[in-house]
Parts: sequence; structure tokens; C-alpha cells
Amino acid sequence: MNGLSESKKEHFKKIFYPQSVAVVGANRVPGTVPYDMLINILRSDFTGVVYPVNPREKAIAGVKTYKYVLDIPDPVDLAVIVYPSSVCNLALEQCGQKGIKSVIIISAGFREIGGVGIEREKQLLEIARKYDINFIGPNCLGVINTDPVVHLNASFARKMPEVGNIGFLSQSGALCTAVLDYAQAKHIGFSKFISFGNKADINEIDLLYYLGEDPKTKVILIYLEEISDGRGLMKAAREIIAETGKPILAIKSGRTEAGASAAASHTGSLAGSDEITDAAMRQAGIIRCNNINEMFDLATAFAYQPIPDNNRVAIITNAGGPGVLTTDATINEGLQLAKFSDETTAMFKKTLPKTANIKNPVDVIGDARADRYNIALSQALKDANVDGVFVILTPQSMTDIEAIAREIVTVAGRYEKPIFASFMGEKDVFAGIDILQRNNIPHYSLPETMAKAFATTFRFKQRLKQKPPVFKPFDDVDTEKAHAILNKALEQKKTYLAEFEASEVLAAYGLPVVASKIVTSADEARKTADKIGFPLVMKVMSADVVHKSDAGGVKLDVNSGQEAAKAYETIIENVKKYQPDARIDGILMRRMIPEGEEVILGLKRDVSFGGVVMFGIGGIFVEVVKDIAFKVAPLSKDEAMDMIREIKGAPLLFGMRNRPERDVLTLSESIRRLSQLAEDCPQIKELDINPMIVLEKGKGAYIADARIIL
Amino acid sequence: MQKEEIKNRVKKVIAQVLGMEQSEIGDEANFIFDLGADSRQSLELVAAFEEEFDIEMDEDKALEVQTVADAVDFIAQYVK
Repeated sequence: MNGLSESKKEHFKKIFYPQSVAVVGANRVPGTVPYDMLINILRSDFTGVVYPVNPREKAIAGVKTYKYVLDIPDPVDLAVIVYPSSVCNLALEQCGQKGIKSVIIISAGFREIGGVGIEREKQLLEIARKYDINFIGPNCLGVINTDPVVHLNASFARKMPEVGNIGFLSQSGALCTAVLDYAQAKHIGFSKFISFGNKADINEIDLLYYLGEDPKTKVILIYLEEISDGRGLMKAAREIIAETGKPILAIKSGRTEAGASAAASHTGSLAGSDEITDAAMRQAGIIRCNNINEMFDLATAFAYQPIPDNNRVAIITNAGGPGVLTTDATINEGLQLAKFSDETTAMFKKTLPKTANIKNPVDVIGDARADRYNIALSQALKDANVDGVFVILTPQSMTDIEAIAREIVTVAGRYEKPIFASFMGEKDVFAGIDILQRNNIPHYSLPETMAKAFATTFRFKQRLKQKPPVFKPFDDVDTEKAHAILNKALEQKKTYLAEFEASEVLAAYGLPVVASKIVTSADEARKTADKIGFPLVMKVMSADVVHKSDAGGVKLDVNSGQEAAKAYETIIENVKKYQPDARIDGILMRRMIPEGEEVILGLKRDVSFGGVVMFGIGGIFVEVVKDIAFKVAPLSKDEAMDMIREIKGAPLLFGMRNRPERDVLTLSESIRRLSQLAEDCPQIKELDINPMIVLEKGKGAYIADARIIL
Repeated sequence: MQKEEIKNRVKKVIAQVLGMEQSEIGDEANFIFDLGADSRQSLELVAAFEEEFDIEMDEDKALEVQTVADAVDFIAQYVK
């Protein structure tokens, strides 16, 4: 993994493991960030030396103060700047002069306020470049490192979290404080806790790489508000996941996108930025979460327990109803109910009450106490047919909740298999849940979230076993020709390429366009018809006529040269009547495409992810049902095939009932060729192939209509 | 009024508001970075300058002034 340069690695080390910290701009006013920052570092039992910097005070909180950072006689590893934004540049300049390479700028009043703030942020970057400084922020909460080697809370979060193996990155500072509070109640520990604010210099990609390499971090969580370098994020995520096996869980806010509706093509309007973010994250292996609760439900599953190799689950419950609910949730998540070995069944028969259900889900009955849970849990974990156990508890009058919780903790420590628990209820089960959470047993208030967490860890492990996608470019494409057509159109200030020109671009990339010609007289139509073959379709070529069928500009099933000449005249007459001022470039003649399954393919250039390919079942349903898949270009064979399988309508293409299997191989090749076009031709803003007709297996596919937006 | 006189009176006001010796205040000193003024004191400085020179300044613009030298130039615009 080469995500961070050596100098950046060195600077990061001093951000997270400094031996000395200067709090630049600290003051003596309790309840303000400059004061709290200093106090939090002092109270966090930081193992290094702290130097407050303030031009007026002799000491703050009993610690000797220096007027300028330059006055500190010793070397300083990390500077935390808490001055107002108007003088942060002066502070950073002095840090540079002092030789400090690692800085956190907490102060707000930069890019986020616009105007003068943008200028101030630029100044910071210039100073950082001049002195080879790396800084986190500005406009951030700071960083926390729970590693006992430093034990540093260089943030204005009031709480130092418990030690753990979860690394948390957040673009929002305020959210960090809420997360810390939430985590404290559930005894969730962190390795590193980082708020990166405006990410003017150090961004989320740098920090992902850092946590990827951090031996104290097992699971990486990230909260993002905007993704400025989508490709970089995907690359980092893929490398980290593949090389370290660490899962990355993400929340990306801003799911609604008003802008998408203003797009000029089907693909444009269907591919809102959130759909693309969603698809890109999935493609890169990032697990996207909808909210903080879901994120920590999954994070604790990854952080606390071994990840299962298989998905056969044993359910142990003290009540029938919750057992059935859990069974439903297990099956709905695509997991299997484990079938116990004969030995396990015999053991259950011998040790559990006669009324107990000894098949999975195992019902140890309402009067079960800790000893019975122990027997059932231990035996299930011993069974080679079981990959993990869900323990359900309902608080009945005989249930010794806390003893059962302790028993689960003890048994869990003896086996290398995941155990998840759901103590159903709130008040009575609270103390039991607390025991579980203090001892790293993931707890879920609902069986559904428990099953989802288990399934997510299982699928993550399965994905780790897959080979990384490799894009193999086609060498029979004519990039020069495509560029020539697109550049010529741009020179002519065109923003739209209609079917004929769009087809030429697609043909240059080996996409299955149908042979066609534009004619400009009835006589030429008659002569051309024989050359193309029958039956023919004829269509008016005019950028002014958008709805060609409505204008009477289309004739289907033309079967002779004579019919072609007549069709030519009829079309011209219809269009002139429908839209007298329309400029007509001629009539397109093309052989009619045989019947097949209609699909839509498209491209969109996304601001942060670049070229994105879309695929879905075509026709009028595309916008109603939105049965579509997206992936960021370029695409490997497997990824293209995954796109086809991903949509709900996939059986229409793979064959069902009396519908034949379609030429899925040609379709997936077209998807890959389109992804190559997206990479090679940045002139294309949006592209629609709608529809492409996919014939029966082995018979190919044809593009019936296409357009390109420049 | 001569700039020199404005400067001396500006420094006198700063010394009073921030509670420091006039001799500690450099001509180019930054109110926050060199003299340690906080946001409350910055507001007090503007009010004190207005009182000292018997002028009324544009408060937003006055708060953008960061150094002693800039304050002298800024006040000079208002003082006849």
C-alpha cells in the first residue's frame, strides 16, 4: 500500500504520537475552545509535554505559557492552532519557522464561510507548502488517540473514549461529540478519533490510508458530507480492504439531489449523485450505512467477534416467539439455519428439559437459567456445522439475566466463532446488556439488526476471497475516430449528438450499431434501400425535431426500393406540416432490428467519480420502475456481469418460463466497451443507448437508438 | 492631527483596554497575535477609539483592522 509518502507518514506519526504539543492561541477563559483544548490535553493524561502559547498570559492552568511558538526552547512535534481565523496564518508561519511539520487547525472561519474565508484557507495551504507542513482542518474538532503510549485528547470533545480497535473519521465535528456520547453509553472503544473539517490539506483519503496501516485499528468508520475525489476514495478503499482485510463503514449524508432532475438524458436523470455514491461505494467494497445506529451495529460485529467463514447460524432462545422472529430475520438476510450434528442433538436430548426444542432454533424454555444457556451455547459452538450463534433472551421471572450475560461472555472466550446477542426489552435487561457490551459481545435490540450485522460480516469475508477486478481494454477500438467526431462537434458548438453521429462514435468502440445511411432525396432512398436490405426503418434526421414519431418522422417495415422512395416523401411532408421551421438534414435508413429484450445502457460523467456506466431494462419502464444498476468505469468482465445480475429484471435476460435466454455475453461486452469509451472520451457528458435490443443467446445485440450530450 | 499623535493616542487606548504598558506595544503589533486581545476586547477597542477621537467608525470595517499601524491609518480617515 503506497497511499502515503514517507514524509506524510512521518508527519502523521507526530500528529497521533507526539512527544510534545503546543496549543497555539490557548487562553484562560473556561468554556471557550482555546481553553478547553488545553485542558482536555492535560486531563487526558497525555504522556508528552504541553506548551500553551499566548501573547499575554504567564501561565494557563498552572502551565508556563510562551508568547510565541518560536519562544519555546525545546522542539515541538505537534501544534494545535486555536487562534481566530484572521491570525491562523501568522501562527502557521511561525510553526513553519520553528520547524513544526504536523499541525491541527481547529479554528473555523475559512472555506465554510466563503469570501474572505476561502482566501484565508488558500493562505494556510501556501504556508504549509512553503514549510512542508501537513495539517488537519481547519474547522475541525481535533484528534483523539487512545493508545496508552500517548493517550492524547487534542480535541474539544469533553470525553476521552474507551480504548478500542475502531478508527473513526468525520467531516463533521459536532457529530463527533454525539458519537462519543453514544459510544460511551455502549462501551464502544476507539483506537483513533479524527475530525478532519474542511480537509484543506490532509483529507479523508490520507486518513483512510493512515488507519489502514495503524496496527491499533481493526475497523474503519467514516462520516462524509462531500466526496471531492471519488476515484481516489475508491482506490484507497480497495487497497486497504484487500491488503489489510479491514472493513470500511461509511455514512455519506446528502442523499437527496435536486440537481439530477435537471439532467438532459435518461441516464442523467436516473443517475443522481447519491445513486452513484451508493454504487461506487459498493463497487469499492465500502459498506454504506444509513445512520449512526446502523454503523455501530455493524462496527461492533466486525470489531468484537471473529468473522465467519460460512453462514450457518444456531439460534438459542428462551422463548418461542422471539425464536421464530430471529429465524425469519436469519433467512431474510440470506443466512442458513445450522443443522446440528447427531452428537449435538444427542447432547441436547440428554441435558435439556423434555419440553425444550432441541432443533434449531433451540428453545431452552422460559425457566432457563445461566447453566442451561451455558450447555446449549457451548454445545452449539462445538458443533462443526455451526458457524455462529445468536443468543436470544426474554426477561421472564425465572431468568437470571446478569448471570446469563456473564455466562455468554465466558463461553464466547473459549471459541473462535462469532456470538451475537439480543436481550429483548429495555429496563430489566439493561444490566445484562451492559455486561455484554463491556465484554465485547455485540448486542442488538432487534433480531433483524443482529441478522443483518452477521450477514454483513459474512459477505465482507466472502468478498475478500474474490480476486480484485482487472479491466482489460479492448484493442480494436478507434479512439482517434471517436475523438475526431466529438471534437468536431465541440468546435461547431454542438451540445448534442443525435443517433447517426452518436452511432459513429459507438461503432468506433465496437458497439453493435446497425448499418445505416442518411439520404437526401427519394431517388437516393430507392437506390440505398437495396444495398442495406429489408425490412427497413426510415427516420427523419433533424436536431429540431425531438419527438420524431409524434411528427410522423418515422416509417417502419419498408420492404422495397419503391416503398422507400414513397416513405421518404411522406416523412418530409409530415415533418414540414408538424414543425414548418425544422431544419431537416435528411432521412436515416437502417435495417430493422429483429425482436429481442430491450435494455438501456448509458454513461454519465460525475463530478467526483468521473465516468459512470448505467444499465437497466429498457422501454418505458426504465423511469417508472428504475430497475437500473450503476458502476464507475472502467469495468472488468466480472463487474459487467454483476451489473446485469444486479437488476431485478435479470431473469428476463437469463431466461425464464417460456422466455429464451438472451445474448448476455454480448451485452456484458457492450457494457465493458462503453466503460472504455467513458474513460477515453471525457468530452462525453452523458450518453444514452436506449434501447439496445438483445437477441437470443449467441445472436448478438443491436443498438436501436443512441444520443450523446457533450 | 499628525499621524504620530494618532499613533500615541491609539497605543494609549490599547494599553488601557488590554491592561498593558504602552512601551510593550510595537507599531506593527497585531491585536490578537501579538497583544493577546480576545473578541470582547476587540469590540472594546473599537468603542474606546471612538471615544478617544470623538468619531463614529463603520464597526464591521473597524473590526477587520488587525494591527496598530492599520488602526492608525483607519482612524486617520475619520479624524480631521
